[in-house]
Amino acid sequence: MEITLTHYLVLSTILFSIGLVGIMRRKNLLMLFFATEILLNAVNVGLAAISHYYNDLTGQLFAFFIIAIAASEIAVGLGLLIVWYKRTGSIDLDTLTSMKG
Amino acid sequence: MLEPVNIAFESLNFATLAPMLIAIVGALTILVVDLAKGGLNKSLYVMISLLFLILDFGALTDFAGMFKENGTMLGFFDVMMMDGLAILSQLIIVGASMLFIPLALTSKRFHEFSYPEFFSLFMFMIAGFQFMVATDNLILIFVGLETASLALYTLIALHNRNKSFEAAVKYFTMGALAAGFYAFGSMIFYALSGSVELNQIKDVFEADGYANIGYILVGVVFLLASFAFKLSMVPFHTWTPDVYEGSSAALAGYMSIVPKIAAFVVTMRIFEFLIHSGVVWLEVVLYAGVVITMTAANIWALVQTDVKRMLAYSSISHAGFVMAAIMIGTTQANTALFLYWILFTFTNLGAFTMLWVSRQKKLPAGQSSDHSFDKFSGMVKTMPVAALMMGLFMLSLAGLPPFGLFWGKVYMIASAVSAGYTVLAFIMALNSAIAGYYYIKVIVYMFMKEPTNENNYMINASLSLKTIIGIAAFATIFAVFAVSPLMEFISVLVYNSGF
Repeated sequence: MEITLTHYLVLSTILFSIGLVGIMRRKNLLMLFFATEILLNAVNVGLAAISHYYNDLTGQLFAFFIIAIAASEIAVGLGLLIVWYKRTGSIDLDTLTSMKG
Repeated sequence: MLEPVNIAFESLNFATLAPMLIAIVGALTILVVDLAKGGLNKSLYVMISLLFLILDFGALTDFAGMFKENGTMLGFFDVMMMDGLAILSQLIIVGASMLFIPLALTSKRFHEFSYPEFFSLFMFMIAGFQFMVATDNLILIFVGLETASLALYTLIALHNRNKSFEAAVKYFTMGALAAGFYAFGSMIFYALSGSVELNQIKDVFEADGYANIGYILVGVVFLLASFAFKLSMVPFHTWTPDVYEGSSAALAGYMSIVPKIAAFVVTMRIFEFLIHSGVVWLEVVLYAGVVITMTAANIWALVQTDVKRMLAYSSISHAGFVMAAIMIGTTQANTALFLYWILFTFTNLGAFTMLWVSRQKKLPAGQSSDHSFDKFSGMVKTMPVAALMMGLFMLSLAGLPPFGLFWGKVYMIASAVSAGYTVLAFIMALNSAIAGYYYIKVIVYMFMKEPTNENNYMINASLSLKTIIGIAAFATIFAVFAVSPLMEFISVLVYNSGF
């Protein structure tokens, strides 16, 4: 069987859904960050495949930018996580409940 | 042997990049000054930021004259795009930032302002927002959006309270989800059209007569969800009140204005052509979103016990009100959007600055929030001028003539009526009436109740804070004289950029 663009797009969609479920279900902040990485990298798979399909480099460019952004996002996120852990001793999402209304 | 690449300098059209470069140079200057000599007073950094913001503003005003004649200006291989929308929104972004940055000079000392990095990050954030509005390339929009958002998360967290970290983490997770949605939505658009430039996407879609409408709708859903997060449209608004409560009052006021106008402009660029092409489904979804956002946020605002959370819900409601302009999509509506937002900038920043003025270093015992309604009771007896100012901003937010926002509301509702959305106009008017109730509640507390607590309202006030309040109050009161020249200026720019 030949692997076509559709297969890549389906893979990308499946990965994206896994990431989405992860964001919604995970209570651990670190796991939540993993899920956002999966979310963004799912898009990268799709972009690279589409880029090859159109013979156009723009998609791969986009993918590179997404990699850079995902990295900086995690850098900021981990910084916040470390401060939160120092203050509360936990990285559970359920500790983030001091504000309501 | 590869051919050397020759690109004529003129073809880059360097002017399109100039305003962002000014902001970035400002940020780097602050870092370098700190490197050369540490431990300098924060007022120096405030002045450096202000200087570069004024330069930035000047460059944009210089540009604005040019765009009165012709439409758009492309630069850097068509990646940068300056048009009337870009100029207008950048003027609002930089103008609001100029009003925000003196708020760092408070009489109490706060943790975040002792770091030069705060000001540096602030300038980078402005550059990010400027990139976001001055392009129609999906990649650059994404990069600008994320640069600005990542800087903003850090600015919130720098406030150094438990609540601000909680706010930053919440905003961060929501922002990461929105980034994922945006990336996926633009991937679908790229798959369908083979381009990441919005005008080319539009051409491709129109050429095949929206044949893949199912897939286009999937892409639209993801992009819409992503911007709904940024614009805090219901049901994606859950982070807003918490984030506003957790961050400092000044930054909360800033967040209710600048990130939203940037997101509005991008939304306008992406969705306007889709609505006009008769994607009926999108119009229905937006209609529902606008009505629900306005109404639900107003109802939540009614039951709040903290003025800052009340203002957070009110800013969600205002965003919903303005979102109606994007749904209507006529030139008149888009003009009203910018007019509304300029007037809203002054009023809302004034209201949040009044909260900032009363900020204590630590929460008093037995009080769960910084700005409860009780704090304002009987203010007219102890602080008549401050009470009058707060009352003025509340009346303007409620849309009472002749104060600023009244004119914004009038033009917005008029544009809805003239585009044939009579029911929507009625709902908008009704919502303004509901909103009046909770703004008046603050005034009732200030003017009709007896003072309960000791007089510590102006505890954080300093000359620069009072100046900003003065400017905001002046603009709110005398807006009536500025409305018609402003309308003229805005409508020329909006019309020339084809919206």
